[in-house]
Amino acid sequence: MLLIALLLIPFATAAVSFFVRRRAAMEAANLIGFGIVFLAAVALAGQVLARGTVSLANGFFYADALSALVILLTAAVALVCSTYSIGYLRDDQQSGALGDDASGTEQLARMRTYYTLTPLLVFSMLFMAMANNLGVMWAAMEATTLASIFLVTFYGKVTSLEAAWKYAIIGGVGLSMALFGTLVAYYAGHRLPGSESLSGLNWSVLAQHAAQLDKTSMRLAFVLILLGYGTKAGLAPMHTWKPDAYSEAPVPTTAILSTALLNCALYGLVRFYILTSRCLGADFPGHLLLLFGLLSMGVSVPFVLVQKNYRRLLAYHTIDHSGIMATALGLGGAMGSLGLMLHMTFHTIAKSLLFLCAGNVYQHFGTDLFAKLKGSVLRAMPLTGVVFLMAMLAIIGMPPFSLFQSEFLILRAAFDGGHLLTGVLFVLFSTGVFTGAILHVGGMVLGPGGETAVAARRPWRDGSMLALAAALVVIGFWVPAPLFQLISNAARVVNGQ
Amino acid sequence: MRPFLDMQFGERIVTLMAALVLVLQIAMVAQRWIVVHIRIFAAQSFFLAMIAATIAWYNHAPHLYIAAALTLVVKVTLVPLLFERLVKRMEIHEEIEPIVNVPLSVVIAGGLTLVGYVVAESFYRPEEPGLGHNALAVAISLFLIGFFTMINRRKALTQVLALLSLENGLFLAAISLTYGMPLIVELGIFFDVLVAAMVLGILVYRIRESFASMDVSRLRRLRG
Repeated sequence: MLLIALLLIPFATAAVSFFVRRRAAMEAANLIGFGIVFLAAVALAGQVLARGTVSLANGFFYADALSALVILLTAAVALVCSTYSIGYLRDDQQSGALGDDASGTEQLARMRTYYTLTPLLVFSMLFMAMANNLGVMWAAMEATTLASIFLVTFYGKVTSLEAAWKYAIIGGVGLSMALFGTLVAYYAGHRLPGSESLSGLNWSVLAQHAAQLDKTSMRLAFVLILLGYGTKAGLAPMHTWKPDAYSEAPVPTTAILSTALLNCALYGLVRFYILTSRCLGADFPGHLLLLFGLLSMGVSVPFVLVQKNYRRLLAYHTIDHSGIMATALGLGGAMGSLGLMLHMTFHTIAKSLLFLCAGNVYQHFGTDLFAKLKGSVLRAMPLTGVVFLMAMLAIIGMPPFSLFQSEFLILRAAFDGGHLLTGVLFVLFSTGVFTGAILHVGGMVLGPGGETAVAARRPWRDGSMLALAAALVVIGFWVPAPLFQLISNAARVVNGQ
Repeated sequence: MRPFLDMQFGERIVTLMAALVLVLQIAMVAQRWIVVHIRIFAAQSFFLAMIAATIAWYNHAPHLYIAAALTLVVKVTLVPLLFERLVKRMEIHEEIEPIVNVPLSVVIAGGLTLVGYVVAESFYRPEEPGLGHNALAVAISLFLIGFFTMINRRKALTQVLALLSLENGLFLAAISLTYGMPLIVELGIFFDVLVAAMVLGILVYRIRESFASMDVSRLRRLRG
């Protein structure tokens, strides 16, 4: 029942937002909808902890600890972004960024686009995380792209069209490879009994019989899936759409794309990793993942170092973290899997917080270039400045923040597993990103300020930001026991126990 | 009535139509007008639907009839109609300018077909009866040529068509490898294809309005 509710509520929210013609009603629908979704996600996590797995409709919907964690993170980000976007879009409306015709119909149409497509995006992400059938999972993944294209073109600028085009075409090609991979995986299992029925492509069925899958086909399937879902996760060299889309979309959308959608893409990858490693052993998929993971980390270093635009800086940061998580998955084992799941959780909190801060700065100064900011953030916006700096320190892995723990765990997994080169490169690239981030964001927040007035209070945005910041600080010292249980159960799913 | 029960005859029909699909794909690489491009895509999808129906008949896989019908509705009718209207509305008269010239493109497409056959060999199981041996090779070729066409085109709409023909390759691979995906997955894919065609169509229209051109090589403002 919970699973159905998790799908129906965002869908209903989208329908309501589409038909009501008042801003307040759309805001309320989104807020209430995502509030309920979050509660349902928490309840689902509780059920999964108690029962192990939850399934529905003859195994069509299926949630284990891994799905429950991804769903919980998606719902949390969606809720925070829905409160944030109320303030964000109202500000846009006042400043004329949504079009400035006197009647306000254009502004209302833009808002309707946002408040309708965001629940649809969340709907497809939740669907992906609970679809047992790998083909349905693919269709949901494709739906996330389709739902978010017009969010990228939200401001209707020439550059947003360019970003959306890259996003659509690169994403489309990537997902067609993922579909091919899904198809080959289906073929790999076509001699199992009952493979013609719908459940023949069910992950839970394939995972049980993984040893009997056709080995050559699984090899090809994993390569295609890695390229396909890797494109959505933004692994290098398929990452080029990411900085463009992230810097053009409205900030709350970017926060969702860079955390929840990244998690979903990795989730798809993890599901196939489990099948492949059970069929072929962990070495083949592991080495490929290490290759792409380290490449993504390496590619992001120079772009972080010379970056001029803070939203693009954060985008390259996401590519770096996507690489870190792929590396963790590639290392595998108990420690690598736990590192991956912890990192996914911590990154989701810290990165969405960073984008929300960046949104505050962007709306106040009206630019996303470091050069035009002249380092006056702390003076103009004391609260945002402090939180921005804190979140930045957290995401580059400074202790005492939690990302230090997860990255350290991944590093230990590398050295313990004898992956000496991986460990060394991991440290090297992390140092590069660390330097770039400190250099830019430190300068931006702390640098000598020009004469700017202190920004007015913004209850919706500051409230969402502070809530996330509180979560980031608390989780650095104390992970609630049920959440940790969920994370370690998810790691056990990845590790195949 | 005998040919309608004879598996060998069925295989010949499938091979013949797969060959036609491949020829159309290469024709797509070679031609110069957008409207013709759209019609070739429609024709190619039509033959795909016929292949699906043939395989459904000879292998008693009734759900493939539904896939064939959906192909007729979505890819033979709706998507081409949508795109032709788009072309009319945008008043495009210019020719497609490929990056690699046409004769060389055709040679490259031929080479990719060869690659398709080599890859398909690794899936060939002589001991298993089935219709799909040649069809699979054609499917992989379609996939590769679709990729090449996407890189080779500058106009936004032709890139979308190349992406759709690449997807046609996947559909052919699905029906020849496993007699199609489970029905509900097939429905999901068709729904996605239809929505994607609409979304991309709108995007193409907006790009055309903003840049007064569909030339995507002009989209180069975002760097670094």
